[in-house]
Amino acid sequence: MTDEWIVQTNDLVKKYGEHVALDSVNLSIKAGATGLLGPNGAGKSTLLKTILGLIALTSGGGKVLNHDIATEGAKIRQKIGYMPEYDCLTPDMPAIDQVRYSGELLGMNPFAATQRAHEVLEYVGLKDQRYRQISTFSTGMEQCTKLACALIHDPDLLICDEPTNGLDARSREFMLDTLFQIVKQGGRSIIMSSHLMDDVERICDRMLMIHKGQVIAQGRIEDLKAIDREIEISVWGGASKIEQKLKDMGQSVRRTGRIMRITRVDESTYGTIIEAAAETGVQIRKMEDYEPSLEDLFIVIMDRLGYSVKSSQDLLDGPTPAMDEAATKGRQIA
Amino acid sequence: MTEDDAFNLDDILEEPVEVAPKVPEKEAEFMGESGLSVTGKARMEAAYGTDEGEGQGVAIVAQSATADAGTIFHQVYRPWRGVLNPRWVRNWSILRHHVYGLFSKGHRPWPITSKLIIVLIFFGSMLPIFSLLFAVLTNIEFLMEFYGINRANLWGHVLGVFHNTCCWPLLTAVVVGGLISEDRQHGTSAIYFSRPVTRTDYTLMKYISAASILSLVIVISYCAYFAAGIVLNNEGWAFLLDTMIYFLGGLAAAILLVITFTSIGLCLSSLSTGRFFPAASFLGVIFGSRILAFLIKLLFERDTLYLLSPYDNLAHVGQWMMGLNPTYDFPVAWSFVVLLLMNAVSLYVLISRVNSLEVTRE
Repeated sequence: MTDEWIVQTNDLVKKYGEHVALDSVNLSIKAGATGLLGPNGAGKSTLLKTILGLIALTSGGGKVLNHDIATEGAKIRQKIGYMPEYDCLTPDMPAIDQVRYSGELLGMNPFAATQRAHEVLEYVGLKDQRYRQISTFSTGMEQCTKLACALIHDPDLLICDEPTNGLDARSREFMLDTLFQIVKQGGRSIIMSSHLMDDVERICDRMLMIHKGQVIAQGRIEDLKAIDREIEISVWGGASKIEQKLKDMGQSVRRTGRIMRITRVDESTYGTIIEAAAETGVQIRKMEDYEPSLEDLFIVIMDRLGYSVKSSQDLLDGPTPAMDEAATKGRQIA
Repeated sequence: MTEDDAFNLDDILEEPVEVAPKVPEKEAEFMGESGLSVTGKARMEAAYGTDEGEGQGVAIVAQSATADAGTIFHQVYRPWRGVLNPRWVRNWSILRHHVYGLFSKGHRPWPITSKLIIVLIFFGSMLPIFSLLFAVLTNIEFLMEFYGINRANLWGHVLGVFHNTCCWPLLTAVVVGGLISEDRQHGTSAIYFSRPVTRTDYTLMKYISAASILSLVIVISYCAYFAAGIVLNNEGWAFLLDTMIYFLGGLAAAILLVITFTSIGLCLSSLSTGRFFPAASFLGVIFGSRILAFLIKLLFERDTLYLLSPYDNLAHVGQWMMGLNPTYDFPVAWSFVVLLLMNAVSLYVLISRVNSLEVTRE
């Protein structure tokens, strides 16, 4: 499955009355781990519901695991394991029964569901706690139980909505390790929605960023990071002089004391820096590529798209020149 | 042992250790990379020490190839290759979850108080049978008339004041109280709708679950009462044929009662979160409408307001079904139409509220 598309959509539009939740969304998600990023109200939940085949689309279409989103929702949900962000467990039930029941709701034979429930609860680290009532669980244990419910039928695609929400450091580590193993060891695909960029960066090799119902970036995280690559230098003896010189030479420079970051245009940027140092007589004590974090990338993309887009109604009314430029830049990034 | 056969430590150390046969490539990826795969044969050798294992002094132990020394908990993702059953199996599991929960662990956790109330009401509904048995054993004429099988008693068992006012509303309130509202409260609707369970299936199976539990008490006790009346009085086929039409009328009234109470109860359950409000409001609807109509009749001698009371509409329609003289002044058709309206409105609210249950957020 590694080279297959697991989700593909064509001009997907979903409107709630006048409000456009998804606006001409064209997605192509490959097997593997994909992070879903976006601010609140961006349309992440609507997109997840669309992938689950739960909502009627206004226009457009798509396929998830080779099943049509519009007509084969039940078949899609049989192949997907969904781990919701919010509470979805019955507090008075033991974990083993909750997981077994979630398997039965998928159509699993009760005996097979029971056996598998033991397996997945052991896998998520709740082997010794599986007969305890969920109401006695910590947040981390509840998250693990939700993950077990999602894994019971060994889904091809696991959708995790904020899987580390509310977890302490140790539980978060365990959850991320487990998700990582599901992808690497189990060979399954994950779409992970999270506000925590570090989590996404750790698990996912691809990402999908949506804003105001539009896909503004999608692809490999490494490739997307290239749009904001900088060279970091540490100088001695005349930081201001070299800063000015670099600016005069047309470079974009950010400076904090003796540390400077210069936007890397291409390979010639290194030569330009050395040339500037030679001309100003400044020592370069350290020079290295600065790789932006996903958070940096998110901010850069948002900056380029422009915060002038206030609502989906603005998009419907037709773009202003500034918005048009911002949207074009966003598309170029994508 | 000759010199050529001399003991050589290197030969032993370099001797290849026999490993269990390789598993198919697809499975191997879950078990590790070294090829030391987990098979039944390996497990048996490790457990019982077959001749192969003993001869070498090396145990072939089932293990994950990636396990580090000293690791106590090692995660191994195991695939599942079973078959998912069709829609009716999923729906059956919902029904089983709710109904079996009354009797055994591992299913819907009904509160102990709810179970106790249901058991008490069930035994309460069986009281006429015990009274009939007592009447037969003591042969007291008065008791025989009071508890014997006739159309008034059959009507009374389903729609009489004791059962219809005291027992069945309380039973319904306890059963439907948290059936949907708790899914909203705990967000468990996501467990249903993120799986191939449609909202129609969900609503239908919740409805059937509630109706089944009510029927277990109301309809079963009614049938048991009728059967006991025939058996205990040693009645023959002629009596059975004579009373069958009343019995069927009462059965239809009982089913109508179960349907109406389930519709109203689930409607109220879908409007709320938690168990208390739906239960209390159901009792309020049943008792409140009856008390209001009673007061209006007392003050103005008009009983049309009884049309607002589900209890009285059911009683009125039941009287007509069993050929009893009606105790209400308005036509039975009005009661029937109002009952249909009550069911329709309740179902409409129920469906629209179930449609509002969220998957991603609640």
